[in-house]
Amino acid sequence: MSIRVNPRFINDLVLFGAEDVQLCYHCGDCSTVCPHADEVYKFPRKSMRQLQMGLERKIETTLEPWLCYYCGQCSEQCPREAAPGETMMSLRRWLISRYDFTGIAKQFFKSRMTEVITIICFALLTGVFLLYYGYSMGNFHIYDGEGAFLSSSFIHEFDLTLGSLLLIFLAINAFRMWYFTMIKGTKIPVPWWLYLKELYLLPWHFFTQKRYSECESKRDPKIFMPWIIHLGLMLGYVIMLVLVMVFIERLQSGPAIQWQVHIFGYIATIGLVTGTIYFIRSRLNKTYEQYKKSHGTDWVFVVLLFFIVLTGIAQHIFHRTGLYELANITYIAHLMCVVPWLLRMPFSKWAHLVYRPLAMYFAAIRRDAITSRESLLKSNSVSIK
Amino acid sequence: MRTGVFFCQVENGKNLNVDAIAKYTANLPGVEFVQILGTAARIEVNVLTDLIKMKSLERVVIAGDMPGYFKPVFTKAMALAGGNTDEIQLASFKERGASGEFAQDRAKAVIACASMAVPFSLVAIPAGNPVNHSTLVIGAGIAGIQAALEIANAGKQVYLVEQTGTIGGHMAMFDKTFPTLDCAACILTPKMVSVGQHEMIHLLTNSNVTEVTGKPGSYRAKIHQRARRIDVKSCVSCGLCVDVCPVKVESEFDAKISLRKAVYIPFPQAVPNAFLIDEKNCTYVLSGGKKCGVCVNKCPKECINLDEIDKIIDIEVGNIVLATGYELLDVGKIEQYGYGVYPDVLTSLEFERLTNASGFTGGKIVTKTKRFNKRTQQEEWFFSPDGVPPRNVAIIHCVGSRNKKYNAYCSRVCCMYSLKFAHLIKEKIPNANCYEFYIDMRAFGKGYEEFAERIKQEGTFVVRGHSAFVTMNNGQMVVRGEDIINDKMVEFQVDMVILAVGLIPASGNEELSRILGITRDSDGWFSELDYNGSPTDTEKGCIYVAGMCQGPKDIPDTVAQAAAVAAGVLRTITSGKGVGHLSSLSLNEIETRAKNIHTLSGGHYVNQS
Repeated sequence: MSIRVNPRFINDLVLFGAEDVQLCYHCGDCSTVCPHADEVYKFPRKSMRQLQMGLERKIETTLEPWLCYYCGQCSEQCPREAAPGETMMSLRRWLISRYDFTGIAKQFFKSRMTEVITIICFALLTGVFLLYYGYSMGNFHIYDGEGAFLSSSFIHEFDLTLGSLLLIFLAINAFRMWYFTMIKGTKIPVPWWLYLKELYLLPWHFFTQKRYSECESKRDPKIFMPWIIHLGLMLGYVIMLVLVMVFIERLQSGPAIQWQVHIFGYIATIGLVTGTIYFIRSRLNKTYEQYKKSHGTDWVFVVLLFFIVLTGIAQHIFHRTGLYELANITYIAHLMCVVPWLLRMPFSKWAHLVYRPLAMYFAAIRRDAITSRESLLKSNSVSIK
Repeated sequence: MRTGVFFCQVENGKNLNVDAIAKYTANLPGVEFVQILGTAARIEVNVLTDLIKMKSLERVVIAGDMPGYFKPVFTKAMALAGGNTDEIQLASFKERGASGEFAQDRAKAVIACASMAVPFSLVAIPAGNPVNHSTLVIGAGIAGIQAALEIANAGKQVYLVEQTGTIGGHMAMFDKTFPTLDCAACILTPKMVSVGQHEMIHLLTNSNVTEVTGKPGSYRAKIHQRARRIDVKSCVSCGLCVDVCPVKVESEFDAKISLRKAVYIPFPQAVPNAFLIDEKNCTYVLSGGKKCGVCVNKCPKECINLDEIDKIIDIEVGNIVLATGYELLDVGKIEQYGYGVYPDVLTSLEFERLTNASGFTGGKIVTKTKRFNKRTQQEEWFFSPDGVPPRNVAIIHCVGSRNKKYNAYCSRVCCMYSLKFAHLIKEKIPNANCYEFYIDMRAFGKGYEEFAERIKQEGTFVVRGHSAFVTMNNGQMVVRGEDIINDKMVEFQVDMVILAVGLIPASGNEELSRILGITRDSDGWFSELDYNGSPTDTEKGCIYVAGMCQGPKDIPDTVAQAAAVAAGVLRTITSGKGVGHLSSLSLNEIETRAKNIHTLSGGHYVNQS
């Protein structure tokens, strides 16, 4: 089968943060040091090769970029300083934009301006809408209960509307990912029961990020900090998302602390605060290889999240200490960050929360299919050929 | 002629101010347009075409470090603009030595010549000086030996200066040469002997050049000869002194994998064939004459004088030949290969000594054996002739070469000697497995490709893919790599790893370049005057480079270059005129000469020829 070549693909990828891919001369050092490269999924060198050849349609169907957690060992070793780790990272960004059917992600990744202006616009829109709603429906001096400026039942409905909107986008994108990788990308037949067999991998990878820790299996001394912090941040984020989406009315009630709900909120906050501060600091100080190059979207991601966490904590404190006016102001500021953040989710780096576990799941299915086919070929070498 | 000058990929350096050069260029006759294109690697053809059309340029000069790189773009643009594509002139700064203290003026001169389409090499010929007939050759490896012999055989006096105790250099350490698999010693030792016996060659071993003054054709050199402490003339190399010497140190000649005494002869065929005292380790010398000194009494010929002092020798020479050779990169700093950590990870030179028939294992390829050192109370690994031969050997190419962290350049000889190693292993241990991890197989010379094919047919596993590291698994070394051609990750258990370590300039080069005023390139190799036109001359008149000190090269190329140097030396002697320093020509002189040639040839020097 012929394959279409896009000779300008490397140039396009520069906007997604890729370094000079043409520097690579294929020594294979990166694949050798990579703790995740194996018989079926050999990367990053192979991805570099596909990039150099401009195999855009081929890379679209690969899962390799998602199997990389960017420990940076390949870039440290690279004799050509071609930054294979950063290339994999930019491929992930590119894939997010490919999976996204709206084309918004592509615009965001390509232009910092577009992204920042969109965020500011949506933040202002949210702010204006909430102020209008608050003044028409409630009292600025009341935070919770009867006559509250922003009643939690309204926010709950607001959240659920946003959430379902997001879910629709994400589901369509995830479906596109499945189509690209498992239908277009896997040329061999995949039995349906493999999808069931490997299903446990989805929650497993989602909640443990085991593979991230395996990045350190060959390094000495092992650097587990990025994995732990990332895991903490992710778990904190998910807990917070559940609290806000489901338990918002209990979360926002009364000046007294509702320990049954709030304890989870505090735990999540620890993860979020340490995570955002750690990543912002690492990116500023460029501590490890993976933090040395920061794409604009990376900054938007951590900084916006940091603002969300900060305003969230502030409104919580003001609410509990009886400063309701301040609480209302910080809450609006909080929502002004949250709404663009949520709306941006399917089109940004954030989407890896969904794509990565899915990729692990698909990768395992594809591997099973390949190995079972190989063993079949071995046992019936004559009849099948 | 309307000329446009474009500066491509030039950066302001310590001695180079691009803006000033551009200003100077704009005032040159015929120059209508000057543009600095910066360091961008890509230039759009359409933009250039429009520019050439708009300014109606008839000639284009590309100036920069690597102008040839941009020539195709300019040729295309010139053709599209309807101009004459023969009028694209290159002004190469790098090639014409526009670096160092003369960079600014040289760059200007190069551009001036190019803008008039007059070859720089035709103009920049410094005036000649009367020449002293003797020659100084620094370094007595194969390059120095060859140059010295060629000159001496023509009946001219040669001073051959060598810093170690024997001539021969690295080639004397080798077992076989590629691709013919001739015995290296069989080629080298007869040459060494004739150097030792030649009446026109004055051999100064254990010596360094410390000072050079004078002008081309009549240099005065100060040579510091360290005391050998053994009389070369009366020593018969009986070896009795070695038996009594209590000091043991690592042998430099054996690449530090065997031990020698403080009184030693580097190898049995050394020239001059006499022992010497290692002053840095001799107990007598170190204690200031208070301790030891047993060898003096043992010597039957009474030729040991431990109190001999260093000498300073003054010589007058007309020409100087640099042949200082190379060293191996310190592979210990490339940690992932475990050199110095795992016993059986060897550098190429170490393996060369191990497999050499005259080496201390008698040419047997063995893995290291463990022994208990009573003095240090520690276990240590050493090569014993009774050691176990390896069953699996990995040879890793490009260790430190073609790597931006160490040497960006290709060391040129590693691919071939690595293949030679595979052959030697297969020859001596027929059932051993040999794995070659390579990035690109650079078999560039006559008969090299055939050699590579032959080695592959011998059953060596040639893996396209560089192994990134060596690990130890339960006492078994494991080499992992990506086999790119077969699309596989491979993992081999091996008993020995040989690293094809990259080459770097000899450590003394820096000082020599200071003494002689010779420029070195960014990698530290001596710069030749013109990469293509005169690869053996240097900036300085009557100073030549031969062999590895100018850049990595194999033995045939080294010998050829050394012979070419001899021709240059003899040319100055027979013509009686030694070429002066290129820097003695002022910018004005070059400009005037270029103008003269330009007017004489009617402005079309190149096209006429």
